[in-house]
Amino acid sequence: MSTPLLEVRDLKKHFPVKSGLFHRTTAHLRAVDGVSFTIEKGRTLGLVGESGCGKSTLGRAILRLLEPSSGDVLLNGTSIIDTPRSGMLSLRRKMQMIFQDPYSSLSPRRTVAQTIREPLDVHSIGTPAERRQRVDELLDVVSMGLQVRDRYPHEFSGGQRQRIGIARALALNPEFIVADEPVSALDVSVQSQVLNLIADLKRDLGIAFLFISHDLAVIQHVSDDVGVMYLGKLVEFASAEDLYRNPKHPYTRALIAAIPVPEPGRKRARLIVKGEVPSPINPPSGCPFHTRCAEVKAICRSELPAAVDVGEGGRSHLVNCHLYGKASD
Amino acid sequence: MSGQSTAAIRREGLWSKAVYKFSRDRAGLVSLAIVSIYTIVALGAWGGLWATEWADVTGGKWMPVSSEHWFGTNIIGQDIFQRALFSTRTTFEVGFVVALLATAVGALLGAVAGFFSGSWIDEIALWMMGVLDSIPFYLFVAAIAFALQDNPYAMHVAMIATFWTTVARLVRGEVIKLKSLEYVEAAHAIGVPEIVIIFRHILPNTFHILLVQGTITFVAAIKSEVILSFLGLGVKEGMSWGLMISESTMEVMAGFFNNFLAASAFLFVLVMAFNMFSDALQDALDPKKV
Amino acid sequence: MSSDQQPLLRVRDLVVEFNTEAGVARAIDGVSFDIYPNETVGLVGESGCGKTVTGLSILGLIPSPPGKIVQGSIEFMGRDLVSLPEEELRNIRGSEISMIFQEPMTALNPVFTIENQMTDVLTRHQGLTRRQAGKAAIEMLDKVGIPIPEQRIKEYPHQLSGGMRQRVMIAMALSCGPKLLVADEPTTALDVTTQAQVLEQISLLQDEFHMAVILVTHDLGVVAETCDRGIVMYCGNIIESADINSLFNHPRHPYTEGLLNSIPRLREKKVDQLPIIPGRVPDLFHLPEGCRYGDRCNRVTDQCRQTAPLLQSVTEHTAVSCFHPVTQTSG
Repeated sequence: MSTPLLEVRDLKKHFPVKSGLFHRTTAHLRAVDGVSFTIEKGRTLGLVGESGCGKSTLGRAILRLLEPSSGDVLLNGTSIIDTPRSGMLSLRRKMQMIFQDPYSSLSPRRTVAQTIREPLDVHSIGTPAERRQRVDELLDVVSMGLQVRDRYPHEFSGGQRQRIGIARALALNPEFIVADEPVSALDVSVQSQVLNLIADLKRDLGIAFLFISHDLAVIQHVSDDVGVMYLGKLVEFASAEDLYRNPKHPYTRALIAAIPVPEPGRKRARLIVKGEVPSPINPPSGCPFHTRCAEVKAICRSELPAAVDVGEGGRSHLVNCHLYGKASD
Repeated sequence: MSGQSTAAIRREGLWSKAVYKFSRDRAGLVSLAIVSIYTIVALGAWGGLWATEWADVTGGKWMPVSSEHWFGTNIIGQDIFQRALFSTRTTFEVGFVVALLATAVGALLGAVAGFFSGSWIDEIALWMMGVLDSIPFYLFVAAIAFALQDNPYAMHVAMIATFWTTVARLVRGEVIKLKSLEYVEAAHAIGVPEIVIIFRHILPNTFHILLVQGTITFVAAIKSEVILSFLGLGVKEGMSWGLMISESTMEVMAGFFNNFLAASAFLFVLVMAFNMFSDALQDALDPKKV
Repeated sequence: MSSDQQPLLRVRDLVVEFNTEAGVARAIDGVSFDIYPNETVGLVGESGCGKTVTGLSILGLIPSPPGKIVQGSIEFMGRDLVSLPEEELRNIRGSEISMIFQEPMTALNPVFTIENQMTDVLTRHQGLTRRQAGKAAIEMLDKVGIPIPEQRIKEYPHQLSGGMRQRVMIAMALSCGPKLLVADEPTTALDVTTQAQVLEQISLLQDEFHMAVILVTHDLGVVAETCDRGIVMYCGNIIESADINSLFNHPRHPYTEGLLNSIPRLREKKVDQLPIIPGRVPDLFHLPEGCRYGDRCNRVTDQCRQTAPLLQSVTEHTAVSCFHPVTQTSG
């Protein structure tokens, strides 16, 4: 098998929780707690989970915007984590990020052209004239007119700002982009426009995405594979088709059931999970979901379930749940 | 969907909104006018256009208000009006130098401390601010004046050394807020060096704080100058409102108030106007206020 | 809702304007609708369509200045709320009409305990003693599904999770037994699983308290699941109003149809391109001539560009403002 574009190995990010007079570290917030997966070239992995599950932290730890506590991330077989700070610049060319909030993701005192040009300046790509031309090209790719070059971010709507942010991420021709909730701050009719743009980029430029969202419907539209996160851990990982057609983990099923469907009369199957997400500072013992799971067994409270492949037809479908696997022993 | 999407956008400069808001603030405009008049007076005195005879004896002792001596004369017959005008120059010199340098030092150290908050750099910066803040101001000035024996800038150094901490604290807080914003993260993701991030993406966005804080420091500096000069720790050469008030103590006891009143009035009006200007500026630069 | 019933709330030709630096913005431009007792009505639209302003104006909570109701009436059980003095309005607000907001943290006072804030409302509107109010508050918290309410009531807002805070807000809003609840994006800040819990709770409580609910939201899924009727707004106008089944199954206004098509939803099969509504919502200072949706509409004609269509009744409870409504293919 060839090297995947991106490989994440047992990645952990723990934040120290400090308290008391002398700021001693008294506990750790396990934002990301042992996550592994791979993304092939040109594919999109959708990462879904509720707020506080660690999905955004995971995205930033992969790009090393946050230093991971342990584990490794390999881009084309090279470890990002072991790369010295001086070597990061050339790696940054290959991986970029699209952000959630279109209002804070653009520097308010820089014009559109300055913002999109900055990656080219930092990496010293091309002559000034070539950079200028590249900016025009990028504006065209994200369907913005060239007359916006010298305007400031506050003159644009959320959807337009998001396009500018996407153009900035594309400037260096990255192979891999982390998109952190890129449409959740946008209006419904604009959401679809931006989602279509991302789908186009994936198809035309062959960029691989890690697409982070809390919205399963959005994830379905953009993803080839889907990972479901809960309290810093992946609980299910499968191709988008399998995951939506045949969700295995009780949490995934609850998430899907909880989405309000715009079809009156088709009242949701009442699969409402009780309670709320526990604190990642004191995660429950055993399976992290056992406090809310409707199908909880004794073993779930004591033992962390390992990933079991329940895939059919040669496709992998991993699920971390005690309901599966033991029977086949 | 690209063509028409940008057509309807209003052009709106970044500062034009603040200028518009300021131009509708009547108190702000009046205060700006007063400050401008003082500035002209100071510039004129500096350029030798007026108040050239402030040190000369042009009349008798304690002459009353007249068309020749608008505010009368002091104990040795110097023209009080000219002395008050000339003092404006001193005041502005002190105010500008102190405000500019204290704000610059505060912005730089505050930004660095905020950007590296939690690290040893931040700890050292905070420790320095803590130490400087805990020394009584006048004691500190006296110590510096003593250390820099006869140096006319001892007072300036002392004020800058104490006033930058307020600016630094404010900037540090703002930078901590700004550095978690996504555009700063985006700059990291692009690979922009940290020093460039601070100067290109963070400091320009604290400019509104610096502007307002600069005017506040200006007021603090001119007030302190008067008090220090009165105490004999301030201006050594030339004339200042503080020195005028200091000279006038004897005169006041003798029942002659002109010197005291002139200096006080000049100071009062300027401080008042500058404070109002600073408030209006703050309102105009605050993006949250309509 | 039967046709012989008197409406609880009757809004007629409401116009709300905001004074801004750039000029006067008409946030709502001639909005009329009725709300009947016990029904749930969804007020849907994208940001800036005027749905929140409509909700706020019912409670007389338009920030003034810069906002102002310049025209129209809001009749609630026979009284016109627009002309009512602030003092009487305050008596109605919180007791007969209540409101819950998107972010409960900003609506709850952080320096008081839940008990403090809840008993405050009860003693003011219901004339209960503090002891009685405390008991009633605990009962109320129990009703909105807060576990161990006797303990929770002693806590401060920041000690509660987002979902719990929203429940506390609901408990406070319902503690005086209002006839009408205006819920402004009550679940937008919550996770999907928590949203499901809270929506369920609201509809259970509605049955128990016999109140009407106006649900202001951008989420059509939420409307489909919880509402009896839907009112769709665009640029300060109501463009369609219908019972939930015809609104979702046979949308008449092209905007409603476009909105329904364009939302990313779980599908049987993945599609390459999501259907979209081209362009974006015009800003209130540059509204197009004629129909405000004209520039984005696929059925636009010269007529639409010249004159603005009015909201016209199609059936008794269905109305649409369009010259060329989507025809029903299913007959």
